[in-house]
Amino acid sequence: MNTVPRKGTKAKEPFVPELARLIDVIEETPGVRSFRVVFEDVAVMSAFSFAPGQIGLMGIPGVGESTFAISSPPSRRDYIQFSVMKTGFVTSAIHELEAGDAVAVRAPLGCGFPVDSWKGKNILIAGGGIGMAPLRSLLLHLLDRRDEFGGIRVFYGARTPADLCFAGDRAEWERRQDIDFIATVDRRQPGWSGRTGVVPDVLESERPPAQDTVAVACGPPVMIRYTLAALKRLGFSEDRVYTTLERKMKCGIGLCGRCNVGSKYVCTDGPVFSLADLGNEI
Amino acid sequence: MRFLREENIPLLLHRLSESATVWAPQVVRDTVNTVLFSPWLEGAEVETGLYSMLSAKELVLPATERLFSYRYSQAGGREKIEINADAPQEQAAIFAARACDAKGLAVMDALFLDRSGASYNDGQYRARRSGLTVITLACTTCDSACFCSSFEKGAAETAGSDIILYPATGGYLAEAVSKRGEELAALDLFRDSSLEKPELARTAKVELAGLGQRLFDIYDDLDFWRRTAEGCLSCGYCSYACPACHCFNIFDEAESDRTGGRFRCWDACMFYAYTQESSGNNPRPEPAHRYRNRLAHKFSYYPLNRGEILCTGCGRCIRGCPAGLDLRDAIRAVRAR
Repeated sequence: MNTVPRKGTKAKEPFVPELARLIDVIEETPGVRSFRVVFEDVAVMSAFSFAPGQIGLMGIPGVGESTFAISSPPSRRDYIQFSVMKTGFVTSAIHELEAGDAVAVRAPLGCGFPVDSWKGKNILIAGGGIGMAPLRSLLLHLLDRRDEFGGIRVFYGARTPADLCFAGDRAEWERRQDIDFIATVDRRQPGWSGRTGVVPDVLESERPPAQDTVAVACGPPVMIRYTLAALKRLGFSEDRVYTTLERKMKCGIGLCGRCNVGSKYVCTDGPVFSLADLGNEI
Repeated sequence: MRFLREENIPLLLHRLSESATVWAPQVVRDTVNTVLFSPWLEGAEVETGLYSMLSAKELVLPATERLFSYRYSQAGGREKIEINADAPQEQAAIFAARACDAKGLAVMDALFLDRSGASYNDGQYRARRSGLTVITLACTTCDSACFCSSFEKGAAETAGSDIILYPATGGYLAEAVSKRGEELAALDLFRDSSLEKPELARTAKVELAGLGQRLFDIYDDLDFWRRTAEGCLSCGYCSYACPACHCFNIFDEAESDRTGGRFRCWDACMFYAYTQESSGNNPRPEPAHRYRNRLAHKFSYYPLNRGEILCTGCGRCIRGCPAGLDLRDAIRAVRAR
């Protein structure tokens, strides 16, 4: 598989999390908060490294743990950020947490984006809703290494303007001259001066050239399906289109069974896959 | 070969019980003929004539086991978590496992002991597995649900076993198939023998060649999978009874507001909630999706990833299915498609 393998200690009991503490909680949208986490063990924190696209399990002993994409870039050495949508039992409990609270984390897991193999290429990023979390990590990483890549175009969509995450970053991305950033919302809203329309439609109307370009898409299942179809029509071949999948996960290490897509496990073989990896089983 | 006299069986169990918990097939109390592998106590009767409803996997993957315990405390005005991993050190022996049960262990070893080094290994499984002695009773008879002869070695399978006992007049011929088995066969309870092994059971067969590819070819034919899974109640019995199924769930349980543990327990891929996400999305919403995944995991994905078929032909899923579904019918249907 053409992705970056995880790093992590194999000697340690794989189910035992590292103790960590929240240093900051950021309200992104009414339902999404970003949690900045620091490991209690200084040695663990300073040794921590990962590739954009890799995931982690964050939890509260006594409540449970859930899988999240890391939304901070590898160059951030002082914290790890998970952006969490309040959806179920565990994420609701996590949303109750404040800076200073203790959490337990298993990270990094899975395989990240094969960024090194994209050197010299144009990069197209299509994100929807909370699906922007791993793409934020990726985009900030690409910007850290800006001169190694060609053009960077970003399409980021959400239902309403209030559902767009990462307001601070977006202002910066819109200002920058060296990337082309388009935010769009499904329905027109008073006070919204940006684009309207779902990501696949905006993508097709912009007609980005497929030549020498790698495309990355992440978002809710429906958005992914239509975006991948749109990219196919725009001429992107399956080995040049990457997605990062989400499935219900428990163990995070390829043992408990449930997150497979065909013969591949999202937790260990993914969550980053090229369409060529996935075949007919997505 | 060595020979173990019938009357020496209780002595062997006694000897084993001095250093290990001995499990043996026994009739469940207050039932007529429900047999399960369960801890053997001195003097208890062992039932070797009937099949155990559940496999022996409980010895390496308990139905529920704690992964770690936690404790919250206050330190320097802040809440602090303490975590203590569980490290099982149990020595166990199973008496009268069948070749299909023992092979189930070998099949799971390919994942949990990670011979390839390609993934994480599981410390608790490893501890339980390395502390387990497997004494297998070879089958000279079978029933209509058995289909181990569909696999290369059939009833003569030795994978996962330490020592095999073959029924013979007055006792059992004993063949060691591991170092641990050799140590056992060297005990004074056994004597040398020049007897021949008995003829082993020959079960019904289902053709498995090319099944993995067929499953791949007809993946998208959901109508076929709806017909094949018709009647399935998604009850999960087949997974719980299977010697090779190993999927598990993880959950936290509090003992008090400061203490508790994280546990894992058996799960089943036929359960709706197995893949249900909190967003409402479920990638395998119908029994058809789940049955397709179940069959493909056993005969396509696991062989591809781990080099083993995730089925040993024990027939438990057939004997116990409350809806009367027969895995072999599904396999034949896939091949005929």
